[in-house]
Amino acid sequence: MTDYFLCKPGDIPEGEGRAFQAGERVVAVFHANGRFHAMANKCLHRGASMCDGAIADGGSTIRCPWHNWTFDLETGRNVIDPREALRKFQVRVEDGQVILSA
Amino acid sequence: MNESAHSGFESARAVTPDPINPKIRTMEVVDTDFHFSPPWPVIRSYLKEPFKSRIWHYPAVGLEYNPEPANERPGVGQDTHGTAGTGAEVLRILDQFGTDIVILNPGYNRPMSIFSEPVLAAFCEAYNDYLVKEVFPVSPRIRANMMVCQRNPELAAREIRRVGHHRQFVGVFTEFSALYEQLGNARFDPIYDAMRDFDLVLTAHSGGWFNHFSPLFNGARTWIELFGNAPIANAIVHLAAMIVQGLFDKYPKQKILFQEGGVWWLSDFMLRIDDFYVSAPGDIALTERKLAAGERYLNKLPSEYILENVRFSTQPITIPKNPKHFGWMLELCHAKDLFCFSTDWPHQTMDPANWVVEHPGQIDEAMQKAILGGNARKLYARL
Ligand code: FES
Repeated sequence: MTDYFLCKPGDIPEGEGRAFQAGERVVAVFHANGRFHAMANKCLHRGASMCDGAIADGGSTIRCPWHNWTFDLETGRNVIDPREALRKFQVRVEDGQVILSA
Repeated sequence: MNESAHSGFESARAVTPDPINPKIRTMEVVDTDFHFSPPWPVIRSYLKEPFKSRIWHYPAVGLEYNPEPANERPGVGQDTHGTAGTGAEVLRILDQFGTDIVILNPGYNRPMSIFSEPVLAAFCEAYNDYLVKEVFPVSPRIRANMMVCQRNPELAAREIRRVGHHRQFVGVFTEFSALYEQLGNARFDPIYDAMRDFDLVLTAHSGGWFNHFSPLFNGARTWIELFGNAPIANAIVHLAAMIVQGLFDKYPKQKILFQEGGVWWLSDFMLRIDDFYVSAPGDIALTERKLAAGERYLNKLPSEYILENVRFSTQPITIPKNPKHFGWMLELCHAKDLFCFSTDWPHQTMDPANWVVEHPGQIDEAMQKAILGGNARKLYARL
């Protein structure tokens, strides 16, 4: 596991997402209700970029921009079919920096 | 955002990922179903008189249902992923998705439900003329199915003969559903006569679910029923009619591309239609074309016409989780010969090409090439 510096908290506006190349991985990071969530960026359905999706359900889910597969931001699980889950990563704010463990 | 190491952490780079698999951009991709929606004022400017002076709005169609209540994206209607109404807009989307050549289908929703045939025919002429004058010249990458008034085969044939010499028209757009008479019926022979003279493919695209009374559709309540599943049944009915009513015996070179009617039912359908034909073919001699030809049977087994004359566009493909099953389904449905890639952009189930190259264990290199472009090249004489 490696810790990556991503950005300052204000670089990802509330209600939005951004993608980061962290080593070999592309990780989508979302800012919802003052918290950050990180998960694999590639949708399990047809491969859309989850960072382009819409945060929904009061900031608890992210919807894929292509066909609406909706994933829980806490668990990464698809809300309709929980067997489908995007890999989650730890993300934290430390000394004014957003840090990803991946 | 910071790209250098920070406070002892590794640094990560902010990126804008390309969701299209890089391999797609190295292969020839022909998108056989892309919906094109010129703005209504543009179409109106091409309408001939007296229609132009009397029709100020896009002709109202019957009750329309769109995916908004299902996908919870209010305000975008059928065009979930955007709207393209000019050649430049089409090229921008092609580049975004790694498509080399596109075959445009009309994006206007349910023109066939315009009640007046003369108005519908005028609308088709305006749409086709706009393509010829302003869209085809933009790029040879843009091809199209022409729009015709399919309810009236004579009007449709007249339009095919009027614009059929424009080589960027590669086919004719029609719709199938339980609300349309079977496209295989001999009543439509004027259309097939005209297409034969210009080497055009008939695109049979799922459509028209909502605009007339139908007990089956009035009982439906959801997008899943209307869009997800009804087209499968409808495609089967229309395809069966084409075969057993002798369409391909009268027009042995006619090619048909079914769109959005599903694919995986083919394995059962081919067995079943052959089985019924062998045991009970008697009333085939009573169909119009067979009566006219004085023939008693089909020239071939029904399933053989599918392999020779019919192809299926892929969107929205469904992929089983078990790769072994996926491989079997592809083989049973003759995917390497029959499947033609399509996106159906910009509709709800828009399907980029990633899936074709991301299952190399089931879809090998040769099949990838065939599905993405090779089969379309063989199908369309003008491509
Ligand atoms: S690619 Fe994400 S829902 Fe289809």
